[in-house]
Amino acid sequence: MRKLLLLALVVLPFLGMSQGFQVNLHGEKQIGMGHTGTGLLQDGASVLFNPGAVAMLPENYIQGGINPLFFESSFLAAGSSQQENTSNQVATPFNIYGVWGPKHSNLKFGMGIYTPFGGLTNWGNTWSGKYVLESLNLKAIYFQPTISYKLCDAISVGAGFVYDYGSVDLTQAIPLANSNGQDGQAELKGSGHGTGYNVGVFIKASSKLTFGIDYRSQVTTTISNAPATFTVPASLATSFPSPNTFTSSIPLPATSSLGIGYSPSKDWTVAFDFNWVMWSVYKTLEFDYGTTTPALQNTVSARNYQDAYDFRAGAQYQADAKTFIRFGGGYATTAVKDGYVTPEAPDANRVYGTVGIGIKAMKNLDIDAAFEFEHLMSRTQTNLQSNLSGTFQTNVYIPGVSLAYHW
Amino acid sequence: MKNFKNYLYILAASVLFAACKPVITTPTATSGSANFTRYIAVGNSLTAGYADGGLYLAGQLNSYPSIIAQQMQIVGAGSFTQPLFSPSQASGTGYQKLTGFDASGNPQLTAVAATAVRGTITLPGLGTIPLFTKYTGALENYGVPGIKLNDIDNPAYGNGNPYYERLLPGNSPTNTTQYLDFITAQPFTFFTNWLGNNDALAYATSGGAGDVLTDVGTFSSKYTTLISRLTANGQKGACATIPDVTTIPYFNTVTYAAILAGVQKSIPSIQNIYILAADPIGTNYAYRPATASDLFVLTFPTSLIGSTTAGVGTYPYGLDPRNPIESKYVLDANEIALVRSHVASFNNTIKSVASSKGLAVFDAFTFLSNIKANGYLINGLSLNSNYISGGIFSLDGVHLTPRGYAIVANQFITAINNQYGSNIPLANVSAYNGVMFP
Repeated sequence: MRKLLLLALVVLPFLGMSQGFQVNLHGEKQIGMGHTGTGLLQDGASVLFNPGAVAMLPENYIQGGINPLFFESSFLAAGSSQQENTSNQVATPFNIYGVWGPKHSNLKFGMGIYTPFGGLTNWGNTWSGKYVLESLNLKAIYFQPTISYKLCDAISVGAGFVYDYGSVDLTQAIPLANSNGQDGQAELKGSGHGTGYNVGVFIKASSKLTFGIDYRSQVTTTISNAPATFTVPASLATSFPSPNTFTSSIPLPATSSLGIGYSPSKDWTVAFDFNWVMWSVYKTLEFDYGTTTPALQNTVSARNYQDAYDFRAGAQYQADAKTFIRFGGGYATTAVKDGYVTPEAPDANRVYGTVGIGIKAMKNLDIDAAFEFEHLMSRTQTNLQSNLSGTFQTNVYIPGVSLAYHW
Repeated sequence: MKNFKNYLYILAASVLFAACKPVITTPTATSGSANFTRYIAVGNSLTAGYADGGLYLAGQLNSYPSIIAQQMQIVGAGSFTQPLFSPSQASGTGYQKLTGFDASGNPQLTAVAATAVRGTITLPGLGTIPLFTKYTGALENYGVPGIKLNDIDNPAYGNGNPYYERLLPGNSPTNTTQYLDFITAQPFTFFTNWLGNNDALAYATSGGAGDVLTDVGTFSSKYTTLISRLTANGQKGACATIPDVTTIPYFNTVTYAAILAGVQKSIPSIQNIYILAADPIGTNYAYRPATASDLFVLTFPTSLIGSTTAGVGTYPYGLDPRNPIESKYVLDANEIALVRSHVASFNNTIKSVASSKGLAVFDAFTFLSNIKANGYLINGLSLNSNYISGGIFSLDGVHLTPRGYAIVANQFITAINNQYGSNIPLANVSAYNGVMFP
C-alpha cells in the first residue's frame, strides 16, 4: 500500500533525426565549383541537379563518386570548461549516374543513385548530452530513373521518379542506473522507404549563358515496426518491453533550385545556384512504439523548422587541354530555430569553400577530385525540450573522387 | 598536367587538416576575489554525503563538497580530503539498498550491514549508540550527520554523536571538543556552510514527537557566532538556506489520499483516517480526522492500519478515534506551520548574517521548492522530487543521490562565482547517477 509514483518513470525524450541533414555531395565537378550545377551542363550528375539538362548532354555517361565525410562536432556545456567531441567516424555519401540516349535523338534516359540526406554522429556514452543522444547513423539513398526531352535547341525538360530507401540507427542513454551505476540504453534501428519526384527545365539562352530550374519534391520516409531495443535494470524490464518495435516518419524536404551558368571566355565557366529547402514542413517528430507502458510512451517532439536557403557560386578554369581547376563556395542558412538545436547534427548557419581538379585521363574517362571545408557557426543554445545548454561548433571536411566514362 | 601533383599535395594536406577538432574557447580560469587554497566544508549529513539511510564510501565520494572541490581544483584550489571509510569497510554505518519491487510496484529495500563499527557505548539519556571506526589524517569535509546548529558549542557533543566521535582523537565519553573549535583549529581560506537543517528537520521527521525545534533566537545568536568564527581571518565562503522540509519525498510519498484509498479498497464505508494531531502551538495533542494537509512519514508502516494491537490497542488503529495514528508517523498541519515559521526565521538569519559578511548564498529553500513545483530539466534529464523515480533524492527520502548532490554542488558553485567573480566550472550532472536499480 505504500503507493509509489513510479509511473511516468521516464518518457524517453527521443530527439530528431533529420536536421540540417541535407548532404550536398552529388558530383565531384559540381562540388569543386561550390555545388553549383542546376544551370550547367557538366556530366551525368545533371540527373540530380536538373533532369531537364540531361537531354542537352552531348554524350552518354556512366559515372560514380564517393566523398568520405569527416564530421567534427564539439560541445561545451554552459558553465563547463570541459569540451566534448564527437568521435572520428567517416560517413560515405556516394553518387552513381547513368545517362543514355540514341544518337541524334532529342530523348535521353537517366538513372541516379545518390545520398541527399544523412548523418553520422557519435558523441559516446559518457558525454553530458547522452540522455539526448549518444549516436546516430542516418542514411537516405535515392534511386531516380529519369527521362529528359529536348523541346528545341534552347529548351529541354526532364522528370525523374524518386524511390528512397532510408535507414536509421539511433542510440540514447536511459537515466536508469543498474547496480553498478551504469545507464540503461535504447537503440532504434530500422529502415523504410518513400517516394517523390524530381523535375527540371534547362534553357540555353546563348552559347555562353545557360539557366536551370529544378524542383525536387518532398520524400516522406516512413519506418514501420522496426526493432527498438531497451536495456534497463532487470527490476524495470517490464516497463521497457524488449524487443519492441517503433514506427516513425520523417519528411525529407522539397528543394527548389535556380541555377545560372556563364562562360565569359573559352577557358572559364562560372555558375551560381540558389536553393530553397522547404524544411518548414518539419513540425514534429513522432515515435510510436509497438508496446507502450506507463514508463514508455509514444513521443511527439516539436521541431518547428524553418525553410533554409543556400547561396552558391563556383568557377571552372581549363588550365590545359586535359586539366580543369575548380573552386567555389557558398553560404547556407540554418533550418533550425533557436531553442531547437539538438546534438544529432548541431545545425547553424554555415559557410563552405571547395576546390577541385578534373583530369581527362583518357579520351572517354574523366577523373575528378574535390575537397570541401564546411564551417558551422558556433551556436550557443538551450534546447527547449531537453534544456541541454551550451555551445556547439562543427567543422566538416570532405575529400572526394569520381570517375566518369562518357561516349 | 605538371601541376597535378601540386594539387594532390594540397588535397592531401587538407585531409590531414581534417583531424583537427573545432575548439570552443573557454574563459581563463580564475578564483576571482576568493582564495581556494584550503577549502573546508561545514555542515551535517548532506555535507558528509549521507545517502540511502547511511554514511558509506560511495556516498562520501559523491558528497557535494567533494564535487565542488574537484571543480575548484580546475581554477587552482588545493587538495580536499574527506573522512572516507576504507574500501574494506565501504558499507560504513550501513545503508539501505533497493532490491526489487513487489507485485504492486512498491519498492523493496534491504539493509546492507555496517562494517565500520568498532563497538558500542551506553550513555545516560542517549542509550546505547554505536562507535564507528576512527578517522585520522587530513580533513577538509567536516560534515557530521545529525548535527544541529544548536550543537556547535556543546563540548560533550563528541560523545553522543558517533559520526562526530569518529573524527575526534579521543574516545567517547571523554571528548570535550566543541564542533566550532574543531572546524576552525586548522587555518583555511574558504568555506561552505550548510548547517541548520536539523534544527527543523529532526523535529519534522520525528512527526513532531521525538525532537524539538531550535528556538529562533538561539539559532540567530549561534549562527552569528559560527559565521564570525568562520570569517575571523577574513575568509570567504558560501552559506545555504534550509529547504522547506515538506518538499522532500519523505513526507510526500505515503499520502493521505493513498492511505484512504488503500483502506477503502477493503472497507468501502471508511470515510476518515484518525490521527493524533497537535494544537497550533504544538504542545497538546488530540485526535481528529486526517486531511490532505497532514503529511505521513515515508517509514509509516501502513500495514498497522486497522490493527487492534497497534497504538493503544483494542480499537482498529487509525480507523477509530479512540486509537488514532500516533504523532510520530504524522507531521500534521499545525506542526507543518510551526516548522515553516521556524525555517522562515532561520533563513532570514542565514541570509542577513551571510550578507553582513559579504558571503555567497545558495538559496536551497527556493531552489528545492521550485523543483517540487516544477521539476528540474537538465541535459535531457527530467528530474523531480518524487521518491525513487525523481532521480534527486536517495532511498531515505531526505538525502540526495549522487546526481542530486551534483546539482547542489553546481548551485553552490554558481553562487560562489556570482559573489566572488570566480569561474569554477560546473560539474557534469549527467555523469552522476540517480537511484540504482537491481
